[in-house]
Amino acid sequence: MMRDPEVVFDGVSKFYGEVLGVNRVSLNVPPGITALVGPNGSGKTTLMNLMAGLIFPERGTVSVRGISPRDPEKLMRVLGYATQYDAAPRGVTGFDFVLTGLLLYGHTRAEAERLAWRAIERVNLREAAGRKVAAYSKGMRQRIRLAQAMAHDPEVVVLDEPLNGLDPLVRAETISLFREWAAEERHVILSSHVLQEVDVISDQVILISNGMIVAEGEIRNVRSEISEHPSQFLVRCRDASRVAAMLFGEPHVTEVRLQDDGAGLLVSTRSRDEFAQALGRIAVQSHEIEGVIPADENVDSLYGYLIGSGGRS
Amino acid sequence: MNLAFRLRQALLIARLEVRRAFFSKRGFWVYGLALFPMLIFLGHGLEVKWKREAWSKSAASRAQLDTIAEGQTLDEIERRLGRPIRRHHWEDGEREHDSWLYSDGTRQVRLRFTNRVLTGIQSRQIANFDEDRTVLATVFQYFYLRLAIFFGCLGIFMNLFRGEMLDKTLHYWLLAPARRETVMIGKYLAGVAASMVIFGLGTAACFFAVMWYQNPVEVDAYWGGAGPAHLFWYIAAAALACIGYGSVFLAAGLLVRNPIIPAVVLLLWESINGFLPAMLQRLSVLHYVQSLCPVPAVPIDDDIPAVAKLLLAPAESASASFALAGVAGVTLLVLYAAARAIRRTEIDYGTE
Ligand SMILES: Nc1ncnc2c1ncn2[C@@H]1O[C@H](COP(=O)(O)OP(=O)(O)OP(=O)(O)O)[C@@H](O)[C@H]1O
Ligand SMILES: [Mg+2]
Repeated sequence: MMRDPEVVFDGVSKFYGEVLGVNRVSLNVPPGITALVGPNGSGKTTLMNLMAGLIFPERGTVSVRGISPRDPEKLMRVLGYATQYDAAPRGVTGFDFVLTGLLLYGHTRAEAERLAWRAIERVNLREAAGRKVAAYSKGMRQRIRLAQAMAHDPEVVVLDEPLNGLDPLVRAETISLFREWAAEERHVILSSHVLQEVDVISDQVILISNGMIVAEGEIRNVRSEISEHPSQFLVRCRDASRVAAMLFGEPHVTEVRLQDDGAGLLVSTRSRDEFAQALGRIAVQSHEIEGVIPADENVDSLYGYLIGSGGRS
Repeated sequence: MNLAFRLRQALLIARLEVRRAFFSKRGFWVYGLALFPMLIFLGHGLEVKWKREAWSKSAASRAQLDTIAEGQTLDEIERRLGRPIRRHHWEDGEREHDSWLYSDGTRQVRLRFTNRVLTGIQSRQIANFDEDRTVLATVFQYFYLRLAIFFGCLGIFMNLFRGEMLDKTLHYWLLAPARRETVMIGKYLAGVAASMVIFGLGTAACFFAVMWYQNPVEVDAYWGGAGPAHLFWYIAAAALACIGYGSVFLAAGLLVRNPIIPAVVLLLWESINGFLPAMLQRLSVLHYVQSLCPVPAVPIDDDIPAVAKLLLAPAESASASFALAGVAGVTLLVLYAAARAIRRTEIDYGTE
């Protein structure tokens, strides 16, 4: 029987007591590289823990390629998870750390050792494999977790902020590893709080904020979805509050926010042209406009539009 | 995924975890508890050996000591037996009192004189094997079973899951390709192995500590008689207590965060157990384990406070096979509850 090839969230909500983790999330994640992007506390780890069965939803269901996260015996044969939790079991070496999991899959010792070395080599930790994980640097711990998560060749690799703390060279190597996996029709689901960091490598992006999915899809679609939204401009001027009042009367302006220093405004508009004309009229009335900077020319600011003000931290 | 595979997984987990159970970061006091009674008896043994050594020079012969009788005078005794090991003299206005100590190397004899005439003889063995074995039985029942193994298992078994939650490493076990029940059984077996070794050896050490300073003839007789069976049943009782209390604290570690509360509740439960209806008495570890103890403990004196008596009351005894079945029943029941709890357990490394 063919298993469902996707990772599916169906109306999933998770609360930590009174605190919202994620709210009514419905997703169908196809194979390939999927980036889960959102600021601190937005619910990325919560979604990943739900996928791996470390926590359970209050409402809704999760299914990983047709397997319920409540059945770890089956699930962990197809899923590998590198968590964001930094602690390693006490006193364990890098090699034993990877080996232990493999033995539980029922591999013989020799086979488990072979697989462990293969995984450790893929993250370039051969020299450090005999040392205690507790003595590893942050980046090395990140890599040994990666090795541990992929050692059993899972179809679904879930990685919580896997690029954190990696130097540029290792980062590039790691990304090419992700690409290899994605080419093999695996799921590579990773998280980040910087869209820029992952948008070029991802096939899909899921933007999450305050526990809710804000945008989802191929990165191109997410971009165009964003561009249909209002543009933002930063206007530097002397009498900012007066300019703000005038701009607010314009029908195309959707939002005006005063900068903290009182000498600037963040303006959202549905029409760049009409905005330009309005600015011209204001300038003529001698309210000195010192400059106008498009505030959303790069991906980060688009992302900021979607998420920036919504982050909880 | 059959039962044999799961069993192999559980045994592998047990092997990986047993080190942690032996050398837990927060658990070295467990060894203190396990060895405490042995140290007491070692101390007593040293005292005995020292007395024998120190008193042998001034020892009177056994025959001489046997000639002493009430009514004899102080001077007469000193003439026959020589100077006592210790003497103490006091007056209360009308009368003179003297207390003298003699020894023949195995007995210590205390003589009481009033106005220099012998009025009382108190003779006892420097080391009394029978008495010490009863003390051992009492220490084993009231300290070892009720407190040392109880709290030792609390330390070892509550740590299996709670400790890993505190260390933020529990998720590794929950991400293993094994049912959560398998992980739980693996960890439980590790705890059972560690606690059985620690408290089994502690029991044996204590048992031998009672013997090393005794009269070798008496010790040989004991080994030829009831000794080996006693040793076996002491260790069996300790091991069974580890199995029973272990399951209870494993479950407690999954169900509650603070170990103090279940400990107090359980200690009270076990203590008042003897007064509960027969049905409820069966839900106790001590109830069964105590009945395996081979030597009766000292009966409880009437002059201790009522509350303490309540806490020390021995449970009604049961037969050995009934005890084994009872502990097995309680353990399975508790493990079943623990399995339900671990299926609901979520990773929560929030602030504790
Ligand atoms: N164990 C917990 N107990 C209580 N609240 C929690 C717990 N775990 C997460 N939360 C809350 O749930 C929300 C989502 O947290 P989550 O860890 O999923 O965010 P995140 O996107 O992974 O953040 P970060 O980028 O910091 O890792 C936050 O508000 C957080 O405070
Ligand atoms: Mg996170």
